[in-house]
Amino acid sequence: MIESIIELADLFPNALISGMTMTIVCAIIGVFVVLKRIVFISIALSETAACGIASAMLLHLHPLAGAVALTAIVVSLLSINYENSRIPRDAVLGVIFLMASSLSILLVSKSGFGLHEIKAMLYGDLILAGQQDRNILLLASAPSVSFFLLFIRPITYTFFDREASQVMGLACRFWEMSFFFILGLVVSAASKTGGVLLVFCYLVVVPTTALLLTKNLTIVIILSPLLGIATTIGGLTLSYREDLPCNQTIIVISCTVFGMALIIAELVKRLKIKGVPEAW
Amino acid sequence: MMKDPVLECSDLSVGYGSEDILTKVCLSVPRGAFLPLIGPNGSGKTSLLRAFLGLIPLRSGRLRRRFGEAPPGYVPQQKQIDPLYPISVRSIVSMGLYPELGFWRLHNRNQKMRIDKALDRFGLLGHQSKTFRELSEGMRQKVLLARAFVTGSDLLILDEPTAGLDAVSERYVLKHLIDLNKNKGKTILLAHHRLEDLSHLAQMVCLVDQKKALYLPATEAWKQIQGSFWEAEA
Repeated sequence: MIESIIELADLFPNALISGMTMTIVCAIIGVFVVLKRIVFISIALSETAACGIASAMLLHLHPLAGAVALTAIVVSLLSINYENSRIPRDAVLGVIFLMASSLSILLVSKSGFGLHEIKAMLYGDLILAGQQDRNILLLASAPSVSFFLLFIRPITYTFFDREASQVMGLACRFWEMSFFFILGLVVSAASKTGGVLLVFCYLVVVPTTALLLTKNLTIVIILSPLLGIATTIGGLTLSYREDLPCNQTIIVISCTVFGMALIIAELVKRLKIKGVPEAW
Repeated sequence: MMKDPVLECSDLSVGYGSEDILTKVCLSVPRGAFLPLIGPNGSGKTSLLRAFLGLIPLRSGRLRRRFGEAPPGYVPQQKQIDPLYPISVRSIVSMGLYPELGFWRLHNRNQKMRIDKALDRFGLLGHQSKTFRELSEGMRQKVLLARAFVTGSDLLILDEPTAGLDAVSERYVLKHLIDLNKNKGKTILLAHHRLEDLSHLAQMVCLVDQKKALYLPATEAWKQIQGSFWEAEA
């Protein structure tokens, strides 16, 4: 196993570094995607990023520029307060998701690229990550995750109890917008390299697994990227050894780990001795 | 002579969308008062509290807040809080110290003692490592009260603090609030929808109904609601 990992690091160093970077940043930010119950936002943003990449290809621009620009527009749309709106935010997300996923196919069908190239560009393949992909990912991820961790207190308070936070003087709208823009930037950069499904997996499956295993937010934030690193290395190694598609192998391993965590959490819950009921 | 008011408003109007919820509200809340905002569901009690806190914009009128240095201790309705978050009771209570701690500062010894004191006061010391999800509704309410208490603010604003609680828990919360008012000198402003629970606890009430808010003695307010649909509902 270790030999395979060393061999993999020799042969595909960019894939390994990109995968690690993606999983660290997505698994940390994903904790709040899951807790804020905005899982659908991450898949809609991933598809938006793919659509941005397709638009950029057609216009002969850098794919990341297209992804970031379109994601920023969608993030601004989503940051509108839908509390008193006639339509729920989920419905808007549904429309964005469908529009983005269909439009990206339509756009690339007119771009003159081959099917394989299109698939790799739109939906990414971690094993094919190049030096440029790796650098872009590092450039987008390092400031994003640093900002997020530096300001984790106001972000957590805003998400946990928005009204009380506002009364305490927190600029809740600023923190929410910052979170969505970071999410958008990370998803844009990661989608190009790892693909929509892998990004979604890192944003949702990995943090949910961590949330199942502990009830302490700080530990969840530490455990989530560690689980992501383990499943990424496991998935990359297995796909290399068994000649399997890389992204799908990582996703299947992540989901399997999630299933195991679910069983463990359920067993622990059942084995726990129930305490005396609360007085009130 | 009326004590220095902590909150003063005149001709205040609030609303959502095209609908006015409250119009031309004139109210002065003296420091050290225990003032329940009484009214049926949907009468605008929460909106008025939110306007006082600056959470919703005013349609018109003037509002003068003299909260002092510390922001008021605020207890929102429990439904505002998602119990999914794996945050311990202690961490939730310590959230009340955010105005002092800011983004990065850690608690000093004095602040830790204040957290312990707040936990102790509301009987939460034995539950401090539990998460919000693991608590009963009554315990959750205690946590929110402890968080408001730890701020050290002289003003506590509570939105339906007894909603969803059984009679025993409700009495417990109200007793605590009266104690904070009488013995700690805290100004307490709370939204509540049943006058009979508070008529013997508060001298003055703010009756919120039909887009108006009237500042009345509790006995007068009781007479006003006798026989009304709202009274029947309550």
